[in-house]
Amino acid sequence: MTELTPIIKTEKLTHIYSAGTPFESVAIQDVDMEIQKGEFLAVIGHTGSGKSTFIQHLNGLLKPTSGRVLFDGEDIHSSKKLTRDVRFKVGLVFQYPEYQLFEETVYKDIAFGPKNMKLTEQEIRDRVLEAAEFVGLPKSVMDKSPFDLSGGQKRRVAIAGVIAMRPQVLILDEPTAGLDPGGCEGILRNIRDYHKATGSAVVLVTHNMSDAAKNVDRMLVFNKGAIAIRGTPREVFKRSEELQDMHLSVPNVTKVIMRLRAMGIDIDPSVYTVEQARDAIVAVKGGKRRA
Amino acid sequence: MGQYFPGDTIIHRLDPRTKLLFVVFYIVSLFTAKSWISFGIIMAVLITAVLASKVSFKTIFKGLKPLVIIIIFTAVLNMFFTQGEPLVEFWVITITREGVTKAVLMVLRIIMLITGTLLLTYTTSPLALTDGLEALLRPLKKIRVPVHEISMMMSIALRFIPTLIEETDKIMSAQKARGADFDSGNLIEKAKALIPLLVPLFVSAFRRADELAIAMESRCYHGDKGRTRMKQLKMKGHDYVVLGLSVLLLAGVIVLGRFGF
Repeated sequence: MTELTPIIKTEKLTHIYSAGTPFESVAIQDVDMEIQKGEFLAVIGHTGSGKSTFIQHLNGLLKPTSGRVLFDGEDIHSSKKLTRDVRFKVGLVFQYPEYQLFEETVYKDIAFGPKNMKLTEQEIRDRVLEAAEFVGLPKSVMDKSPFDLSGGQKRRVAIAGVIAMRPQVLILDEPTAGLDPGGCEGILRNIRDYHKATGSAVVLVTHNMSDAAKNVDRMLVFNKGAIAIRGTPREVFKRSEELQDMHLSVPNVTKVIMRLRAMGIDIDPSVYTVEQARDAIVAVKGGKRRA
Repeated sequence: MGQYFPGDTIIHRLDPRTKLLFVVFYIVSLFTAKSWISFGIIMAVLITAVLASKVSFKTIFKGLKPLVIIIIFTAVLNMFFTQGEPLVEFWVITITREGVTKAVLMVLRIIMLITGTLLLTYTTSPLALTDGLEALLRPLKKIRVPVHEISMMMSIALRFIPTLIEETDKIMSAQKARGADFDSGNLIEKAKALIPLLVPLFVSAFRRADELAIAMESRCYHGDKGRTRMKQLKMKGHDYVVLGLSVLLLAGVIVLGRFGF
């Protein structure tokens, strides 16, 4: 599913807030990374690790203090037109996106992005209905006021508003924050289905390790404004002790495996699901060794 | 402008009521003063206060910056439209000796007025300031002015200004991410572009207000009646000294004016 052509690339990306004043603070420093076409990536980090600042560079909302962001090989700040185009090609769903709803009806709100792209009425209509279906909004709510919906549904409307732009990269900042477990799983399922159906790249920003591990191909772990660990979930969870030092919670099953290792049992440390744990334990019992 | 800089100088420690009253006396003196001598005395008081507060002159200049246009405008008006002994004459413009003097005094007056009030907000936390104001306005309660409610509204408004600014930034970024354009177009287009910003901002302001009201009620807030304070305002020795000095300042300026200075 993952072809190895980067759609977004950052080079030595650095952002300093209030540069040149006594309140100066470095949010991210020298971040080099790539997002491949069609991949499902997680950006993980504790509050204040710089992950939110980082993602706002990817669609050109923030201008780097130094370094570059390349989209399809071109610096997104090289021309004003390109910066604006990238806004549509890299869809960014902010944290608590339901607070940005403003239109009279759900339909109009989802249509705000496509309308700004100056599409035809018919094209807008197709995209709105498609986006609504991706996030599981029933047709019956399309003519309702978004302010009359439940919290979970409002969030879906807001996410649909970004999906309707058909971005080549969809970035979601903590899309499940503040939802009940059922709502969380529902939204994550929608995002997974969207990724499968469209083949566009998805970046999930979260501090929840289990959510990330279950869904993504690759993870970037941010700590103190830089990428501390990168790799597949297995590679990342192999370094669980470091994750805990960064105040990131590892899945409970990983914690059990860590305890087993602390007790001197030589078991595969890269485990993060119950099934993997079962296999790892069977492997130990069977006397087989795993690296 | 008017941001509070915490500190522990004598000016910071003064009772907010003292500072408010001092500023009132100071402003009245400033407008009573007619001569260079009076201005010199008031200026000396101001500079002493600024030095004692350890607020840097750089910070004060920064606070004055937004008012430069008003200051220049007043100077120009006074310079060109005062009758008197002409200094320079060309075409329809005449600059008089009296005009120049008046312009310089007026500019000094405005700068000193703003610096004085800036010093008040720089050295007094918003909470202390509203507390002080409430205490000073208490007599108005006799004529049924809701003094406590007004001061509570003021503190809440002050408290939420940074929150609202932060919220505005967030919503703006979110709408920009959906292609909203706040910068280009004519006036009507620009006004229309603000709708996606203002509607969510109002909705969240009302939501915040509701939540705050519930939070206050669940901590048994019921207005002024029977309300006690954790931090009681208390006048100390130095407060009376400063109050005495501010009365003396005003009296001195008035007396000097009587003698034609």
